[in-house]
This record gives sequence, structure tokens and C-alpha cells, in this order.
Amino acid sequence: MDFDIETWVKVAAFAGGGIAMGFGAIGAAIGEGFTAAEANEAISRNPGESGDIFKTMLVGQAIAESASIFALVIAMILLFTDFNANSVVTVSVLFAAGLSMGLGAIGSGVGSGFPAGAACKGMSRQPKISGRLTTNMLIGSAVCQTPAIFALVTSFILLFTNFTGRPVSPTWAAILGAGLASGLGAIGSGLGGGLVAGASCDGISRQPLAATPVTNVMLLGQAVTQTTAIYGLLVSFILMFKTFPATDLLAPPMALLAAGLCMGIGAIGPGVGEGFTARSAVEGIAKNEAATADLTRVMLVGQAVAESTGIYALVVALVLIFVV
Amino acid sequence: MESIRETQKKYGSRAFALAIIVSLILILAGFKPVGKGLILGTFFSIINFVLMGESLPMRLAKTKRKTFAFSLGSIFFRHVILAIPVVIAIKFEEYNFFSVFAGLFLVQVVILADHITGLIFSAKNKGIGKI
Repeated sequence: MDFDIETWVKVAAFAGGGIAMGFGAIGAAIGEGFTAAEANEAISRNPGESGDIFKTMLVGQAIAESASIFALVIAMILLFTDFNANSVVTVSVLFAAGLSMGLGAIGSGVGSGFPAGAACKGMSRQPKISGRLTTNMLIGSAVCQTPAIFALVTSFILLFTNFTGRPVSPTWAAILGAGLASGLGAIGSGLGGGLVAGASCDGISRQPLAATPVTNVMLLGQAVTQTTAIYGLLVSFILMFKTFPATDLLAPPMALLAAGLCMGIGAIGPGVGEGFTARSAVEGIAKNEAATADLTRVMLVGQAVAESTGIYALVVALVLIFVV
Repeated sequence: MESIRETQKKYGSRAFALAIIVSLILILAGFKPVGKGLILGTFFSIINFVLMGESLPMRLAKTKRKTFAFSLGSIFFRHVILAIPVVIAIKFEEYNFFSVFAGLFLVQVVILADHITGLIFSAKNKGIGKI
């Protein structure tokens, strides 16, 4: 059975669409399921507030599923657009676009469930500050979506950029590497950001007077957790926009694919680890507001150390792109 | 469940009113596909938001595993509905793809804007109170 290039392009588009929507739905479903489970617990604790808890759950879930809607849009483009089937690079582009968005939606989908769940639980404890809790939850959830937006941007660039003038080898590998760097790189940051936002909703419900420093440190902690996703986006941009010389050897394309894998996988751990660090700082500030300065300092130092492995991954990825 | 209906009505009507106003301006300025796309995307975004609220009771009072299964089923069902405007935008040039995409997130944008403006106004009022 012989396959021409048109068949391979269709195969890549269908596979990419399936990957984008499949992974994208898993992340959001876990996040929404977690929120609903926490809402259950909250209603059992304080049934009188079930109306407000339901409302918070609905609004939180609406924001949490944004990442899966991004994935849906990319999947639909891949499934229903007629792509010019003239190069193996197109096959790589379509598959990479699906990979980037599907993987990139996982972390944000799951992560956004944490603040929504914590806000529902907090509302059963402190019904009087439901407005403040909901606002904090929405801000935290919106920041959680940033890594998924990076993955979406990568997918859009891949789909709407003309790569036809580039040599097939090693461009196919650079494109796949770009999708992997951006998609995998978004997982840790989405989860980490969610951990921090969840802790801040919990903290505000336990100590409403500390709401302002808790929200501020949440935003600072979340900003740092997003940095590894930014490294993923950076490597992805280099792989997409740098024109590599044509080659018949196997090593150069493998180096570019490895660069994307290295940055993508290397970004997962630091994103989650930094989330743990910031979560504990936010919890501490809610318990003892007077220690905000010390806790923030320790958090930033801890996050900087956790970040180091992400920086190693970035350095190795850059070496693979520019030196090897 | 009155509270959820009110929330849906509040954000759904605000999102649709915003989409109509922006679309009218765009259509009058000569960007007809962009305006039509925004209305189409927003309409399906509101349907998704309403369905999300209607499926909430099915996800509560169950074990974590069942809640997860219901969430997954609910997401797939609602995403099939959300796919309709995206496919229309891809297939028909009368609808701009990027404005359909923007419309799909208008409910979320309205929710965020509502809470953030509330936070800003409450902070300002506190400041006035101190003075």
C-alpha cells in the first residue's frame, strides 16, 4: 500500500486534531471534576450556602474550560481545513500544532480547578466574603490559562505560517520540536499556577483580613511559575523562525527534535515545584500576615532554586539548536 | 437553583448585548464578516454557558470518580456544540474565523471584567472612605 503526500497530510491533520481535543478535554475534565467534588464537600458543610456555592462553581468552571475550548478550535481547524499538500513539512506542521495545543491545555485545565474548588470550600466557611473569594478565584484561574495561551499562539503560528520555502530536512524536526517545547512546557506552569491560586482562595477564606497580601503574593508566585512556560515558548519560537541549512544527515534534525523535547520535559518539574513553594508561602501569609516580607523572600529564593533545572534544560536546548 | 439562572441571565445578556453593539459598529464600518462572526461565536458561547449550568446538578452528590465521568461527558457534549460555529467559520467566508473565536470567549471576558471592575471600584471606595 503506497501513500502519497496528500494522504500523509490528511493523516497528520486527523491525528493532530484528535491529540489536540483528546488531551485538551482531559485537563479541563479533571479540573471541573475536582471543582465539583470540592463543591460537594462545601455544600455538605454548609447547605444554607448551596446557591452561592453553585454559582461560584459555575463561574469557576466556565473559566477553567477555556483551555479545552482553545484545543477545540485547533482541532476543528485541523479537521475541516483543506491544507496545501506539497511538502513533508506540512505533515510535521499539522501534527505539531495538535501536539502543542493538546499537551498545552492539560496543565491549565487541571490547575484552574484548584482555585475554583478552594473558593467553593471557602464560601462554606466564610459566606460573607463570597464576592472577594470569587474575584480572587477568577484572577487566579485567568493567570492559570496563560501557558495554554502560549500553546495556542504556537499552534496558530504553525498553522498560519508558510514554511514551504524551507528545506524538508531538518525543518520537519524543528517544527515538531517547537510543538513539543511549547505544549509540554505549559503543563508544569499550568499546574503550579493552579496550586498557588487554590492556596490563596483557601487562605482568604481562613483569614479574610489578609486578603490583599495573599492576592498580591499569589500573583507574584504565579508569575514566577509561568517562567518555564516562557522558556518553552522561546525555544519554540527559535525552532519555528530560524531557517536551518538543508541536510541529508540524521543527526541535525534529531538535535532539533531533542531540543524541543529537552525544553518541554525540563519545564514540567520546575513549574510544579515553584507552585508548591508559592503555595506554602501564600498559606503562611494567611496564617501570619506579619511575616509577609520574610515569607515572600523565602518563596522567591525557593522558586529561584527550583527554577535552576528549567534553566539547565533551556541551556541544553539552546546548545542543541546552535552548537551541535 | 434560582441563583444559577440569575447568574446565567446576567452574564449571558451582557455578553450578547456587548456582541451586538460591537458587531453593529463593525458592520457599519464595512467589516461585515467580522461582525457576523462575533455574533455567531457569542451565541454559541452563551448556549455553552447555559448548558454548563443545567448540567451542574448531575455532577453533584456523587463520588469523585462519577463526578469526573460526568464532567468528561459534559465537556464532550458541550464541545460538540461549540464546534458548530468554528466549522461554519472555516467553511464559509461570510464569517470571520478570528471574530468567531473571540465570540466564544465573550462570556468569560464579561465575567472577568465584571469582577475586576468590582474589585477596582471597591478599592477606590475604600480609599475615599479613608480620606
